[in-house]
Amino acid sequence: MTELTLKINGEDVTADVEPRLSLADFVRDHRRLTGTHLGCEHGVCGACTVLMNGEPVRSCITFAVAADGTEITTIEGFDDDDPMTMLRQAFHENHALQCGYCTPGMLVAARDIVTRLPDADEDRVRLELAGNLCRCTGYVGIVNAILSVIEKRQA
Amino acid sequence: MKSAKFDHQRMVTLEEAVAALGSADGEARIMGGGQSLGPMMNLRLAQPDLLIDLSRVGGLDGIEVAGDTIRIGARVTHARIEDGAVPGVTGAYMQFVASGISYRSVRNRGTIGGSVAHADPSADWPSALLALGGDVVIAGQDGERRMPLDGFQIGPFATGLGFEEILTGFELPTLGEGAKCGYYKVNRKPGEFADAIGAVVIGSAPRVVCGATEAAPFRVVAAEERLAAGAAEISVADARDMIAAQDPGFDDYDLQIHAVALSRAVGRAFA
Amino acid sequence: MADGGATDGKGIGARVLRKEDWRHLAGKAKFTGDFQRPGQKEMAFVRSDVAHARIVSVTKPAGFEDSVFTAADMPGMRPMRAPSKLPGYKGADYPALAIGKVRFVGEPVAVCVADTRAEAEDLAQATVVEYEELPAVVDMLDAKAPDAPRLHEDWDDNLVMETFADDDFSKIADRATVIVKREYRMARHAMNPMEGRAVFAEWDDRTDQLMMWTSTQVPHLIRTGLAEFLGLDQRQVRVIAPDVGGGFGCKALLQPEEVIAGWLTRHLEAPVRWIEDRREHLVTGANCREHHYFVTIHATPEGRILGLDCDVTIDAGAYSVYPFTNGLEGAMAHGNLPGPYDLEVYRCRTQTMTTNKPPLMPYRGVARPGVCYAMEMTIDALAREIGMESHLIRAMNMVKQEQLPFMSIAKKHFDSGNYPKSVEMVVDMIGLDKIRAEQAAAKDDSRLIGVGMGSYVEQTAHGTSVFASWGVAMVPGYEQATVRLTPDGGLELRIGVQSHGQGMETSMAQMAYEVLGIDPEKVMVTHGDTGLTPYSTGTYASRSMVMAGGATARACRVLAERMEIIAAHLLQCERAEVSVRGGKIVSGKGEVSFAEIGRVWYLNPDELPDDVDQGGVEVTMGYRPEPDSGAFTYASHACKVAVDIDTGKVKILDYAIVEDCGTIVNPMIVEGQTYGGATQGIGTALLEESTYDSFGNPGASTFADYMMPGATDAPHYRIDHMESPSPFTEYGIKGMGEGGTIPTPAAIGNAINDALKGIGAEVTETPFTPRRVLAAIAAATQNRQGDAA
Repeated sequence: MTELTLKINGEDVTADVEPRLSLADFVRDHRRLTGTHLGCEHGVCGACTVLMNGEPVRSCITFAVAADGTEITTIEGFDDDDPMTMLRQAFHENHALQCGYCTPGMLVAARDIVTRLPDADEDRVRLELAGNLCRCTGYVGIVNAILSVIEKRQA
Repeated sequence: MKSAKFDHQRMVTLEEAVAALGSADGEARIMGGGQSLGPMMNLRLAQPDLLIDLSRVGGLDGIEVAGDTIRIGARVTHARIEDGAVPGVTGAYMQFVASGISYRSVRNRGTIGGSVAHADPSADWPSALLALGGDVVIAGQDGERRMPLDGFQIGPFATGLGFEEILTGFELPTLGEGAKCGYYKVNRKPGEFADAIGAVVIGSAPRVVCGATEAAPFRVVAAEERLAAGAAEISVADARDMIAAQDPGFDDYDLQIHAVALSRAVGRAFA
Repeated sequence: MADGGATDGKGIGARVLRKEDWRHLAGKAKFTGDFQRPGQKEMAFVRSDVAHARIVSVTKPAGFEDSVFTAADMPGMRPMRAPSKLPGYKGADYPALAIGKVRFVGEPVAVCVADTRAEAEDLAQATVVEYEELPAVVDMLDAKAPDAPRLHEDWDDNLVMETFADDDFSKIADRATVIVKREYRMARHAMNPMEGRAVFAEWDDRTDQLMMWTSTQVPHLIRTGLAEFLGLDQRQVRVIAPDVGGGFGCKALLQPEEVIAGWLTRHLEAPVRWIEDRREHLVTGANCREHHYFVTIHATPEGRILGLDCDVTIDAGAYSVYPFTNGLEGAMAHGNLPGPYDLEVYRCRTQTMTTNKPPLMPYRGVARPGVCYAMEMTIDALAREIGMESHLIRAMNMVKQEQLPFMSIAKKHFDSGNYPKSVEMVVDMIGLDKIRAEQAAAKDDSRLIGVGMGSYVEQTAHGTSVFASWGVAMVPGYEQATVRLTPDGGLELRIGVQSHGQGMETSMAQMAYEVLGIDPEKVMVTHGDTGLTPYSTGTYASRSMVMAGGATARACRVLAERMEIIAAHLLQCERAEVSVRGGKIVSGKGEVSFAEIGRVWYLNPDELPDDVDQGGVEVTMGYRPEPDSGAFTYASHACKVAVDIDTGKVKILDYAIVEDCGTIVNPMIVEGQTYGGATQGIGTALLEESTYDSFGNPGASTFADYMMPGATDAPHYRIDHMESPSPFTEYGIKGMGEGGTIPTPAAIGNAINDALKGIGAEVTETPFTPRRVLAAIAAATQNRQGDAA
């Protein structure tokens, strides 16, 4: 067992965990933050995307012990975040979700796009979304939602 | 898909880490960004007994220019390189390569040292850096040593790194303003592993690499000679012959896409 | 007569934003893997790593024998068996855990139980299975050989079922002088919902019930199947589908892991959980689409298609899934190959073969994407042969609007629509003339532009008569819906279908609004729970809006009548003077709110009239369209591609869709379903393939090998709608959930072949990977050189 100290959604957390426990399983099973989803456990589908020190990472291939000393933000931790609030509304208005399973990871990735690449056009948005798979929507609503937030933030 | 059990040790110094590699019971691996090892461990394709965590070890994150050499620490992430942390023409080339590696969330954790040490034949850095030339910096029981990137990767997932050695960084050439670089990757979708890589760096002399070969990347001698003679393009047909001459064991499709990658990399270098 | 008074955009036709969105956006949804109970155990499977073998022995890890179970350790668990009444159909047991033999790589042999999934996987890794390998039959055509290895020893061969409909081609021989023959394959692949399968089982001692939360599309079917194969009474099983992260058909069947979990939880006296991981899904869920076709079109030189002759082989994998069976696709292939075309003669043989691969499951569109691809690609081949634009051939040969209703040559009862108009509209949308000009002027011969299209007719919401004719054990009947007024004037709507992305919490509320005028925000839609909802065979076959929507409308109308009786009394007027309108009951004398009705019924029944309906403000009604032979949705898709003939890569430059699903309830949802389906079609056409070596070992077990369509693969779709209401359903609604997948491989394949027509190359096997495109070009180049020589 290894001791782990980190911040999750602003809260200090200390735990003793098996080294092999993934960050995804740690937040889901130990912290009951089940908004982060597992879709592939090999870093391709993006459903598990969370922020580590403000940057999106794959929680499925990050061991919890590797997150020691970091600040993790899961989908549950964006209540006061302007870009996320705008994205949530845009996703809702643009039918950017159907079954909802990819949505938390998609939102975290989308937030990275609108904050890091404020001038992205449709082609760039689609390229940046390559790491988040959606099986339901055909990406139409998602791309439209992200572009609409980019446009709003430029105004 | 949950990893098998392993022990985890956090190191504070490089010497400690080298010693731990040497004294480990069973298989020990360095935990870099975990973006290549993580999936393999979840799939139980890799089942090390010990993971050595270097995240607290200093001196592995630097990017320094020293004359005609750029020293890059092993722990520099692809994202930092994508965002332009490496200066100059070398940096621009590396920025282009980095931006095509996997996805941003993976680039935020994946490291250049980890990628080269792991030596997945389809990875970008082994091919891209071979085209740049330069040295790998290695820490071992006897201190620090260097190995040229030429010949560092000897096969799939196999390098010249000893079992008790740690890749700590790279010393890469500072390319001049007139240097030409081109990198082209054939893959089914952005972010996926490459099916073929073409990497061209024309600094003091042309270096042309054929990568994603299922073995180690290799320099295409005939292509380098053609460019050294002043050519500004290489056709796909010629590229096929040049690559085939080095007996890479490709079927017709693989030969075709590697030739396209080479030809288009040259095209990008001269664009 | 109730009338929602749908003037403020919340009923049928309105783009109502989805009520179910917010929990997903906030990360507060509850999928099966999100439940936790104290003392829960996790399951991991020991799965066969050989395709065909006898099981010689299973050695459990020392000290953990009680944590590892084989079929022999699970008395009372019966093999699944899916009967079919189709003539000649051969059935076989499908044991949840292998008994004696394994028949595909990934078949579960033993289940390991531990406190965590990681520990359960440790046990699985430490369990040693000894196999006596048998030769495997991997290719469905090889399965037909008389000396092919046999999967089911009591069968004479590997033929599950054969259908054959003959016809007299001599009738057309003198006119049909153009004969075009082709051979096609559509590759096996997986459905890959982003949430894999998942089950959480617990035995409730208080109610003496198996409680199973499972990611399913068909909770009532699962419940019936579990009871049957675990030897329980039906009342002892309750199945709850919480949030379900996509299904597309792989969750419309009983899963072996569900049966196993049901047995284990009772035996262990602890809750048990199994969450499918992606490798399990890619290996055991490689279960759809695999067909082979020989197609011959008999046409006149003017392009009139008089006859169609097909030989179809379907790869059914190792077992027959419950309840729909592996015989479904053969019957559907036969019925759908003629598409929307008016043929004079039709001959079709289908052979469904069993192979050492995962059991075939019905993936969105089922047999239709394959047969549409086979037919539409051959139509384009005909077009190239006679030098005519293929859209003109389509429009000429389609059943015309004035012919409807029309009984097709395959006995499909086409109801309403204008199929040729969809062709005309999509050709205009894609800009065919402009593309032809672009092709003619093209200078770059390494990047070839092409345009292609595909059209289809889709039978949706087909009911009792159709499923009965297919001999399936679970035939859908009257769909039920229950509505109940709440004490504060809201509505609880309970339906037995299960939304897994289709937005039914919104669209069904829109239906309630249409009848009652009650704000969808005040309608609580409950589904997915067999304990709370009326029976339904579930969500599949594009049936939910028609069937559950229709039942909802019926139930709401009866509720309205009951409320009107109470309101008339409260308003002191005649029954005929009141009516439900705009969310209340109005008359010339005043109005009564639904909340007021609720108050009187629940809290002050002393104020009720003597003639009140004693059934109260809760109504269950059934519904089935008459006839129930299906509501026929149709569409035409057109696609512009660029083919890089150096790499073989295909890029979709533009994609246009013209669809008609009758009366649209929520256009936003219809478009979303179409885009999602079309994107899956792109996967089938260009990317997705589950490969096998000659021993039956799967090649694509991770997303590094298995390519999923991403945001750069999906184009910026353009869509237009026609609305030809069904003459037979409530409000003229038709189903449409599957349609997007159907013509996509055809449209893309046709576009590629159009791009390559100058070279004379044709792709004929999906996915149209770079390798296959280059091989087609190489073959055509060689042929030409051969011709020239």
